[in-house]
Amino acid sequence: MATLKMQNVTKQFGRNVIAVRDFNLEVKEQEFLVLLGPSGCGKTTAMRMVAGLEEVTTGKIFIGDRDVTDLPPRKRNVSMIFQNYAVWPHMTVYDNIAFALKLKNLPAEEIDRKVKEAAGLAKIEMLLDRLPAQLSGGQQQRVAVSRAIAVNPDIFLMDEPLSNLDAKLRVSMRTELKAIHEKAGSTTVFVTHDQSEAMSMADRIVIMKDGEVIQVGSPDDVYHRSRSIFVADFIGTPPTNFMEVDVRKEGEGIHLVNSHLNLLLEPALAKHLNTYSKDKIILGVRPENMLLVSEDEAALSASCLVSEPQGSHQVVAIQLDDSIIKVIAPASPTILPGTAVHMSFKQETLRFFDPDTTLAIND
Amino acid sequence: MTAASPAKRFRDLGSKAVPYLLILPVVVYYFLFWLRPVLKTLIDSFRTAAGGFTFQNYIMVFTDPNFMPALRNTAIIVVFSVSLEFIAALFLALLINRKFFGSSLFLFVAMIPMALPAVAVGAMWLTGLTAHGWMNSLLYYLNIIAESHKIYWLTGSEWKLLALIIVVDAWQVIPSVMIILLAGLQNIPEETIEAGYVFGGDYLTVLRKITVPLLGPTIQTAVILRLISAIQIWLIIVLLVGFSRMPVLVERIVYYHEEVPGLDISFQMASGYTIIVSLIVSTAALLYLRASGAFGSKKEAAR
Amino acid sequence: MSEKIKKPFKLSRLIRKTIFYLFIVTLAVVIILPVFFLVSLSFLSTREAYLYPLPLLPSLKARYSLTYGERGYLLSVYDDFNKEYQTVLDTNDFEKMSVYMHSQIGTPFSIPEIEEVIKDLESGPEDTVYFSARKDLLYNYDTFFKVTREAVPALLRSLQIAGMTILISLSIGGLAGYAFARYIFAGRDALKFSVLFVRMFPGVAIALPMVIILANMGFYDRPIGLSLVYSVGSISLTIWITASIFIGIPESLEEAAQVFGATKVQSFLRVTLPLALPGLAAAAMYAFLGAWNETVSAIILTQFNPTFSVVVYQTLLGSVGQVNLAAAGGLVMALPSVFFTFFIRKYIQQMWGGVTI
Repeated sequence: MATLKMQNVTKQFGRNVIAVRDFNLEVKEQEFLVLLGPSGCGKTTAMRMVAGLEEVTTGKIFIGDRDVTDLPPRKRNVSMIFQNYAVWPHMTVYDNIAFALKLKNLPAEEIDRKVKEAAGLAKIEMLLDRLPAQLSGGQQQRVAVSRAIAVNPDIFLMDEPLSNLDAKLRVSMRTELKAIHEKAGSTTVFVTHDQSEAMSMADRIVIMKDGEVIQVGSPDDVYHRSRSIFVADFIGTPPTNFMEVDVRKEGEGIHLVNSHLNLLLEPALAKHLNTYSKDKIILGVRPENMLLVSEDEAALSASCLVSEPQGSHQVVAIQLDDSIIKVIAPASPTILPGTAVHMSFKQETLRFFDPDTTLAIND
Repeated sequence: MTAASPAKRFRDLGSKAVPYLLILPVVVYYFLFWLRPVLKTLIDSFRTAAGGFTFQNYIMVFTDPNFMPALRNTAIIVVFSVSLEFIAALFLALLINRKFFGSSLFLFVAMIPMALPAVAVGAMWLTGLTAHGWMNSLLYYLNIIAESHKIYWLTGSEWKLLALIIVVDAWQVIPSVMIILLAGLQNIPEETIEAGYVFGGDYLTVLRKITVPLLGPTIQTAVILRLISAIQIWLIIVLLVGFSRMPVLVERIVYYHEEVPGLDISFQMASGYTIIVSLIVSTAALLYLRASGAFGSKKEAAR
Repeated sequence: MSEKIKKPFKLSRLIRKTIFYLFIVTLAVVIILPVFFLVSLSFLSTREAYLYPLPLLPSLKARYSLTYGERGYLLSVYDDFNKEYQTVLDTNDFEKMSVYMHSQIGTPFSIPEIEEVIKDLESGPEDTVYFSARKDLLYNYDTFFKVTREAVPALLRSLQIAGMTILISLSIGGLAGYAFARYIFAGRDALKFSVLFVRMFPGVAIALPMVIILANMGFYDRPIGLSLVYSVGSISLTIWITASIFIGIPESLEEAAQVFGATKVQSFLRVTLPLALPGLAAAAMYAFLGAWNETVSAIILTQFNPTFSVVVYQTLLGSVGQVNLAAAGGLVMALPSVFFTFFIRKYIQQMWGGVTI
């Protein structure tokens, strides 16, 4: 186990493609860190630089106290689960897991013990003699996991390891991977573009966009205290609802106003806008933080477009001018299309964003 | 389930017949233009000049004083050229597969020898290997040999000639082996190789334990094609040193047919040699396929 | 995104890169060197071609000196290597001199021009005059086509043969390749191995009995006869290559076309074939190379209508026997092959990627 530190790391491909820009990150011992972002945001490149599969253009990478920036992959003591598993098709499951151990010239009994231990953790003890071609995708995934655990690495890298599995298996493997991480206690960097995967697994999430880090924080942090419109929109299903509103200072209070809405802010929230000089903000509110209320309590009224029942709750889509907002409401009564919906907000959860910088105002 | 209607059964039969219809032209073609000449040669090899049945042709071939040298020379050429060409081709393929800046141009350069026609290659080496040819001129310009001290490439011991022929032949053949291996390398998913590096392998380990084993079927293809054609080498030898100077098996066939067609025994000798060569080639090919495990893995490879 | 990131300068990386490229260049030079000499040779004059050491590059002009000789005028040529004039001719016959200057030195020089030089010699104070003449670089190529009267018809014939070989092997082999890629049927393995079987019997040994077979069909000494023989080998290779290409095109694309109302034949013609076209073109080039470059069967199966490769072969070993002419002929022959190779290289993986025994 060790820490991982990336210092001002930049990766440039060719003449003018910058995949990762001035990337700084510290991963604590035994932490499960997730790099999250849309495809092409540089998260995989960042991980491949840690593995040593990609040369660093500028900056430094440390594993523990070792500067590994210029070391080849084999000298970094990392292990990796690849997106396509990269299980070697010409070796049995046993040999796949034993590969790295044999290269370390460990005694045969120790190799045997470690292989079986790793296979046990991933529950594939009975498959050790098989060739990968005889395994299902999920089983190959487990081989890749065992192979990665067996070497007892300083850093455990996972490059979208669940993206090739079917939906159900993906969710159950999440739990298992997390459990294996708890048991093995290895420092882990996990790359994904699936925000729910990130939320459910991570100790900390690093959200990336266009090669840059947008926000670092616990799942709670990035969900409830999104630092920008991008994060608020990217995290959560359905995502945050956004409304452009005018800021009106009337006497003591501050009102947020648009054609549908007139909301008097509570003092605790209003103080965030005291020093704000522009007259417009983007209001962000999560679907579950909008409450259905009676007409006279409503801050916002509009008609229902469609409702999507989910069993435990329903997602109500509401048309507001050109945009659609979604609200999570109790499962019953079912709200029919066309009925008027009256809503208020859990004020303490509201997020204010600067329309020009797209950054959050109330931090 | 009800029984299929006659019309449907007919359609099923029709769709089953599709692949056979598709390969029918090939079968007919092979029969007409390959099997017929082969059978004709086979029959001729058991016929006397007058037309009767005989084993005499084969006895003549085996007692031909040039038979053993031809067999030996062919064997030596095959063993050394196939291994030399394989190693060089693998090396080039690995190099080109690194996709460095300019690798596509380098690939083109490396493929040029295979594009050249045999006669152009013959002209090239003939003018190169004579005493006042370009090889000696080059060595002279490079200050490796003195003006008066020419190297006589095409004279001297048979071993020297064999080595020369192997190198000259390799120059032209390596690219065609290389492109097959290159295609195989490009088929290996990059992550599979990268996993080898991440899990502690250095370049040679990954090459030995992962790349080459994964390339197995491709290597088989490349080597078997090369093996079959290496046994049949002759043209470059004849272009460089003429007939009978360094006998090899196929050269003997051509010799009896083209150089001394008037002799009584020419035709019989040629057909005898042809059948023997074919037997040797097919035996070698089968042995290689068996040894390399092509038959064992066939079922798994099936789609 | 266009700002530049300055890579920290690392000497070790620079050295490694330099060594790597030095190595690549060296390798390329070694591979290409023999071809370079062949090219250079094809531009050398006959006199240069038999010099030792051979000039690395053809000269662009020749420097002469002319003086009085025993039998007439003494013509000398400057030898760049020994740095001296070497006497080549002593004659009174201006036509002979002109022909010699053109055919041996490669510099066209007319009789009036010679007379001009001689006037200079006789009117001048010195007993030697110096002059130079520009070289006709394409002289060998020109001569090759003039001396071997068959060259041009043979060239056309070779093109015709290659064209027919492509047609035969691509249609027949392509069908089988498609069957191999899409269907499971008895004899599929035999088809796969046929490429080996066909090669196990020496090509020249096929050509010999084919003389009689083709004669019976009336195809002996005709282009169609040779294409039939060449197609045997190239069909088998085409099966492999086209099968590999078709395997690379997902069957689901065809199925999608069928779902939208196309018949099997239509979906093949409209969907698979266009996608396969570049790969098929590359396969065609393979067939071209095989037919175009082949010499031995062509020698056996032609009599009065040789192919281009036979003509070059005869220039090399036969009566003409001039190395620079043979080099010129060989290069003319190599040109389309090299040109095609340039295109083939992009399709290596498509052609060979799906091929295994």
